[in-house]
Parts: sequence; structure tokens; C-alpha cells
Amino acid sequence: MTRRAKRDALTFALFTFPNFLLLTVFVFWPIFYSLFLSFFKWDMIAPKKRFIGLENYRVMFTDPVFWLVTKNTLILSVWVVVLKLVISLGLALVMNRDLKGRSFYQAIIFSPTFTTSVAVAMVWRWILEPDYGLLRVFMRPFGIAPINWIESTTHSLPAVIIVLIWVGIGYDMVIFLAGLKNIPPELYDAGLVDGVNPLQEFIHITFPLLSPTTFFLTITGFISALKSFDIISILTGGGPLNSSNVLVHFLYENAFRWFKTGYASALALLLFVVIMTITLIQNRLSKRWVHY
Amino acid sequence: MKKRNLVWILLLAVLFLSSPLFAQAKSEAKPEGPIKIVYWRSLTGVAGESQDEVVRRFNASRNDIIVEAEFQGAYAEILQKMTAAVAAGDMPDVVLLDSPHMPIFAKNGVLVDLGQYVKDEPKGFIDDYIPGLLADGYYHGTLYALPAMRSTPLLYVNGDMLAAAGLPRRAPETWDELREWGKKLTKINAKGELEQSAVGLTTGLTTAHWYFQGAVYAFGGLVSDEDFGIHLTDAPALELAQLWQDMVFKDRSAIPSNSHDDFFNKKVAMVFGSTGSMGNVYSRADFQVIPAFLPGQKQNLVPVGGAVIAMPKTGDTWKQWAAWEFLKYFTGTESQAYLARLTGYMPNSYSASKDPELVAYYNANPQWKVAIDQLNYVRPQASVISLPKGTAILQQMVEKLIIANRDVKTVMEETTADLKKEYNDNY
Amino acid sequence: MARIIFGKKTPSWIIGRTLTHLVLIIFTLAVGLPFFWMITTALKSPAEVATFPPIWWPKTIKWDNFSKAWATAPFGRFYINSFVTAITGVLLEVSIAALSAYAFACIRFKYRDLFFLVMLAALMIPSQIALIPNYVILSKLKWINTYKGIVIPYVSSVFGTFLLRQYFLSVPSSLYEAAEIDGLSHFKTLIYIALPLAKPVLGTLVLYIFIGKWNNYLWPLIVTTKQRMRTLPVGLAMVRDAEYAIGPEHLMAAAIFVLVPVLIVYFFSQRKLIEAIAAGAVKG
Repeated sequence: MTRRAKRDALTFALFTFPNFLLLTVFVFWPIFYSLFLSFFKWDMIAPKKRFIGLENYRVMFTDPVFWLVTKNTLILSVWVVVLKLVISLGLALVMNRDLKGRSFYQAIIFSPTFTTSVAVAMVWRWILEPDYGLLRVFMRPFGIAPINWIESTTHSLPAVIIVLIWVGIGYDMVIFLAGLKNIPPELYDAGLVDGVNPLQEFIHITFPLLSPTTFFLTITGFISALKSFDIISILTGGGPLNSSNVLVHFLYENAFRWFKTGYASALALLLFVVIMTITLIQNRLSKRWVHY
Repeated sequence: MKKRNLVWILLLAVLFLSSPLFAQAKSEAKPEGPIKIVYWRSLTGVAGESQDEVVRRFNASRNDIIVEAEFQGAYAEILQKMTAAVAAGDMPDVVLLDSPHMPIFAKNGVLVDLGQYVKDEPKGFIDDYIPGLLADGYYHGTLYALPAMRSTPLLYVNGDMLAAAGLPRRAPETWDELREWGKKLTKINAKGELEQSAVGLTTGLTTAHWYFQGAVYAFGGLVSDEDFGIHLTDAPALELAQLWQDMVFKDRSAIPSNSHDDFFNKKVAMVFGSTGSMGNVYSRADFQVIPAFLPGQKQNLVPVGGAVIAMPKTGDTWKQWAAWEFLKYFTGTESQAYLARLTGYMPNSYSASKDPELVAYYNANPQWKVAIDQLNYVRPQASVISLPKGTAILQQMVEKLIIANRDVKTVMEETTADLKKEYNDNY
Repeated sequence: MARIIFGKKTPSWIIGRTLTHLVLIIFTLAVGLPFFWMITTALKSPAEVATFPPIWWPKTIKWDNFSKAWATAPFGRFYINSFVTAITGVLLEVSIAALSAYAFACIRFKYRDLFFLVMLAALMIPSQIALIPNYVILSKLKWINTYKGIVIPYVSSVFGTFLLRQYFLSVPSSLYEAAEIDGLSHFKTLIYIALPLAKPVLGTLVLYIFIGKWNNYLWPLIVTTKQRMRTLPVGLAMVRDAEYAIGPEHLMAAAIFVLVPVLIVYFFSQRKLIEAIAAGAVKG
């Protein structure tokens, strides 16, 4: 190696060292350590861990609470993603024109994106209060009786879904708007010439050309929903009876409330594998998608 | 001649070795300047402020020890924090623990055996503490904690709502009476919506189990015994569970309640709370509040709750001595009388309960006397509460009963199985 | 798309516009009302809070709800902790990102692309897998309840590195070569040549990272066990558990304590933030 090349190599190492050190210790290594812990029974206090092989996994796959929690996580993720996309796409289409006050609307609708989830959940808990909460005002004209969202096994998950959608539509809308801007106007002009109506326009021009954006939002939204914790923790605590409990919250309870470190690590591994798989699939598919 | 000299030398040696002079030289000298110790405390509102005041008084009363009180959140938080602190080797010198959590730490050797300090105290020191309250400071016969802010579960009643329903202004004495009264207190409007109910049954994560225990004891039953035998499928527990379920779903005179707002908003006429919350309840209610024993049935018997105060083993001799001095002060007559007067927690010793200021206060405010009277009917909490997942399993049992409306016998069998599994996981 | 025929606004256009505004107003209200509701509740007295139909604005404003809420927990301390950890976190993360980005963009190294791929792989890893292991590592290091414990595990930078690298690459490499010939060290090149290229996005990146760290809940919840070390989100969650002592009006006041800084930052920077996010989406 030339002297310069040597110096460059050294500088490269120096410049990237902090990042790679941190990544190794706090991002890569944990995967292996979690895997390791998942084969043990440990309460985080005892100096010795007890090796139990695949027992944690066996318990996990036969634990009805685990399956309930997994089901909740999937239901939540699907509903949140789908409804968010539909609403935010609608909003983006509506806003995608020369509109007075457009930046005002955008600013307000986007505002929940950066709010602190704990505070948001507390406000929504109060909004959902069956007798005095804000939501009741809007239910009354439809003759709907007060619903105790938080303490109902059937309504607690929908409550969480509503809040997550509320928080997320602004972000999706902004991304859609950017995607819409990217569609060459000549295509629309061609459509006008051909005499298409707005619905046909949407189906044959807009939506297909938005598909990379839609795909991107679907996958990232889905992954993000799989990892939900904050809102659930404050809004319902996962209850009642695990009806609104999700994977990450279940992980937290097992690890940091009940000291079942090994079991929680097995849960973490599972979540990791699922998310990595989806991410890899996304990578593969989006590479193919770019060429259209 | 030589042998006799040897004996004298030996005797002298023994005398010398056992002399206090020698013992003194072995231990470290008392550090100069005040010894700082950290006290992790819980509870907010009046219960929190009054603790801070006790700490202030202690610090003012001597200049060789300074106590730093740190609010650590609710009891569940302190449990997590202590566990983390043990793992990190970073424990406080004194800690307020929810009474069922003490065995977890005693079992892992985290707490100091207080017996070594008690034996140096004047005679009658330990006997002054009220036995029912001192009982759960022991683990396998060793004393690890002293009663600090003890409470028993109470029924808080809205006197005005009772009067409006044509009922006497007092609490129901048995569950049967409560159910009877419930019929008059339940109001359902034209649309079939429940407007008002008789009682809120607690479903909170850390509290549901306590009031359930109180109700089971009233029916003459147990949740679990000392040896972790589970008694939830015995007749008293089943009877009680069925009663709760029927009150919620048949009579609609009870509702699952996760917040005390239901009581202040007059949605329910009665609610469960601890003696320790009395200060806060009175300050927020705009109606007549009647604190009372939990409803009895076959007997009056309630689980003692609240906190005990203990010393983690930090290994520092002088800090531990300082911690003991603070423990004595905190559980001493003056502090306990003060705390009881302000918060409704119970004075933990005979001397404290005979303190003239406290007695005068109870005479002037008879509602606070409820706490004292209930001391005759206490027993420690169920052993399963000390298991990490114990309270969560019991809370879920309550939810299964009064939210999911599931078959009582099945629920009790499931809960028994879950508790047994949790026990096996830990011991 | 506007259906304006020969410059005239047809009736159908007007109806369309009105409907458009109606829909947008409805959704803007749907998003904005919760904030409004939070504010009015915080100003009400307990009697006004527990009424239905609700009172939209209190007759007399109870400012002392705020002081009572403030007193339920050491919020001043929480604020300080949040500021310290968020600011040091941002500074560290952006510095690390700048250094890494420069190395990947401008320094010739045989295995550079390999390392870059490894870094990208890190982007795919969900942080939840690291909760327990990081906690165990920190407790061995005795970093529980310290600022470094809250900050350090989260200052590695992949997204920031990626972003800055794009900007550093936006000029031909001849520029960097010229700097090299002039004898500039890599570090100086980073500071004087590369970083200014990223000026348009640097401010937004800083804000974005800052807000993320300010709002972080789960990790500080796990790693702080002393009230004294808690950040705002965690402290707020604790307040919720205060027994009997506070009502909805105080909880809303406390929520306001936590949301106000973030909302202020947001409203001053929202245009730039939205632009940057939109641009990022288009690029990648």
C-alpha cells in the first residue's frame, strides 16, 4: 500500500470507529446475546442462569396469551396501515391542488407526527372517557350509548387502533403528496385529451404511478405498527385481559415486570425474525419495482 | 509452678481479647461529618409530603446523619427499581417496600437482618409494635422490615347518595346488605344505560388483588396459605366470586372500576380505597364521605397492606447504623403519630396509638378511628402476592370475573393453575 | 384536473372546491380538537370537568391546576434531564454521522463498500431486540441511572450517515481531489468542504433527531429507576399512577408540560421538516 493509501485507511478507520463500535455493542451484539439468553431461565438478579434449552420456545408456542398477543399485533398492524393509507391518500388527493390555506391544513394534520406519545395517549384516554370524554359528543347524535373503551375486551384494541391512525395520517399524507407531485403532468393532460373521468384517472394513472410510494408506506407502516408500545402502555396497559396487548408490550412485561428474562428474549428473537423477513422481502420487491 | 503461670496468662489473654477496648479498635472509627443515606420512598399527595416532613424533622434533630428522600413512584415501580438496583449494585440505604414485596428481596439475601440491631435495643422495643402489623416483616422467622405506613382496605361511602336513595347514612355491614342496598342505588335510564351504580370493584393492576382478598376473608376463605397452597376453588372464594359477578351482570349494582373518578363523579356510591388515601379522598370529595370496614359476611377480617421499611445490604457499616437510626425514628412513636394523624395510615405501635395528640385527634375526627378499630381484624396478605407475577394473575382473575363474565369455577381453576406454575417457576 | 374551462370557474368547480375545503376542515378539526380539548380541560375546575354535554370553555380559568400538576412530580428535573440527554444525544449522533458519511463518501478504502453494506444492515434491525441485552450491558457498566446510559446506546447513526453521504456525494470528486492536492487533511476537508454541502438538510436533521430523542419513552423507562434521572415522557407516565390525588384536569395540565416544547419546535420548523421528509421520500 502506498503511504497515502495507508493514511487513508487509517483515517477511514478512525472516522468510522465510533459508529461501528456503537453499532457492534448496541445493535449487532444484542441479537446474539438475546438468542443466548432465550435458552436460559434467569430473573436478572440471580448470579447464575439456568440452562433450559428450547423450553422457552416450547412454552411460547403453547402459551395462549402469546397467541392472543400475536393476533392482536397483526390485527392492529393491518387495520392501522390500511385505514391510514386510505385516509391519507384521500387527503393527499384532495390537497394536491392550488388551494388557499393548504399549508395551514397540512401543518395541523401533520402535527401529531412529532408529539410525545405518552402525552397523546393520556389525552386520548380522557377523550375516550365514557361519560365525559370528547368522543361521546360525537357519538350522541347517532344515538350510540357511552362505550367504556378502555375497560372493554372488545373495544380496547379498536381504541388503540384509532389513536395510532390519528397520530399517523399526517406523515402518510405528506409522503403521498410528494409522490403525487412526482407524477408528470403530461400524463394527466394526455388523459384529459382522451376524455377520462376523475375515477378512471385515478385507477389508470394516479394509483399505478403512486405504487412505489404506496408500497413504501405499507411496508414501513406495517413494521412500525408491529413494534407499537408507547400508546398501548399508557392507554390500556394491554388490558383488560390482554385484549389490547401487543408483542413489544408483552415483551416488556415479561422482562421488566415479571423478570422472565429468558422467555422475553425468546419473544424478542421472534419479533426480530419476523421483522427482518419482511424487511428483506421489501428490499427484494422494491428493487424489482423501481423498473417500470 | 509453670503450669499455673500458663493458666494466668491464658486467662489474661481471654480477658484482653474480649475487652471492649479491643473490639472498639477493630471496628472503624465513626466518620467525621454527617453520614448521608438515601431513602427510596413511594406515595404521593399527603402521604408523600408527610414522609418528607418526617425526614426533615429527623435531619433537623441530629447533625450526624442526613437522610435524602427520593420519590421512586408507586410500589410497583419501587419493585422494579430495587431489582435493577440490586443488579447494578446501586441500592439505597433505606427503602419503603410494599409489604408483599419484602420476601422477594429477603429471599435473595438483599436485606439486612434487623435482629442484630433489635437485640441492642431496650427491652420491649419489638413488643411495642402491633403484632398484626409486625407479622409480615418476618421471612422464615427472621425480621427484615418494620411496619412503616400500614393500611387496611376500606370502603368509602357517599353518605349523600345513600340518603337520597332512602338508605341510612352508614356503610353496609355485610355483603348481603350491600347487595340489598345495591338494588336501591342502581339507576338505569330509559335507554337501558347504567347511570348510577352502588359500588366500584377495583380492577387496577396493583390494587385489584387486595380488595378481592378482603372480600374472600369476609366469606371465611383464603386466597393462599403460608405454604403457597391455593384456596381459590374452596367454597368461600367461589361464593364471593359468584356474588361479584352477579352484582355486575345481573343486578348491575357493581361496575369494574379502574379509577377513583367514578366515586368523585358520583357514578358509584361506594368505592374501595386504603386507609392511606383518606386524606386525598376527603380533599377531593364534595359530598359526605363515610369511611368504613370492608363489608363482612361470616367474619370481619382484612389483609394488611401498605408498606414496610427495610435496609438493603450496602456493606457500609456506618451507613447501615445510620439507616437503623432512621428506621427507628420513622417507625417511632412521634413519627407514626404524626403520619397517622395526617394520612389515615395506621399508627404501628401501642405507644403511637396512645399518643395524646393522636387520641385527641381521633376523638375530634371520629372517621379516622376506623383505621384503628380495624387493627383488631387484620392478617398478613396472601403469600402468592410475593411472586413476581402474583398480583398480575389475581388482577386478571378479577377481570375474567367482572369484565369477561366467564364461568366462576373455570376461572378459579385457571387462576389456581397459573399461580401454581408461577410458584414453581420461582422456588 | 381543475376543470377550469377557458378561465371561468364553473359551478361544478365551485362545488368541488367547497367540498374540498369541507373535507379538509373536518379532518383538520379531527386532528386539532384533541389538542383543544386537552387545553380546555386543563383550565377547568373538577365540577366543570365532570359534565356532559361538555363545557367548551371554563367560566373561570383555574390556573392553579398547573401548579398542582407541577407539584405531583419533579417536572423541573424531568425537563433538565430531557434537555441534557436530547442535546448531547443530537450532538454526538450528528458528529458521528458526519464523520462516517465523509469516510464513506470521500475516503478511498478497499473494503469501503463492504462496511457500508454492514451499516445498512444495521438499519434493518429492530431496536426491540436490544432492550434486554443493552440493559444487562449497562448494569454491568454501572451506567443505569446515568445520562450516558440514556444517551450512548442510541447515538450510532445509520440514517443520518446515509443522508449526509448523499449530500457529500453531490459534488464531483475532483473537488475533494483538489483539496487533497492542496494538502488539506481529511478532517479539514470534512469541516470546510463537505459539511457546507449539507447545509440545507443539516438543520432539519438536527431537529428531527432531537425530537426523536425528546420523545423517547421505552428506553429511558427501562434504564432510569430514580425519579431524579427520569426524562419527561417517563415522568409523565409516573404521574398517571398517583392514587386518588389528581383528576383529569391535572393530568391534562401535565400533558401540556410535556407537549408544549415539542409543539413550539414543530410550529417554527414545520415547513422545513415537511419539505425534508417529502424530499427524502422522493429520493429514496
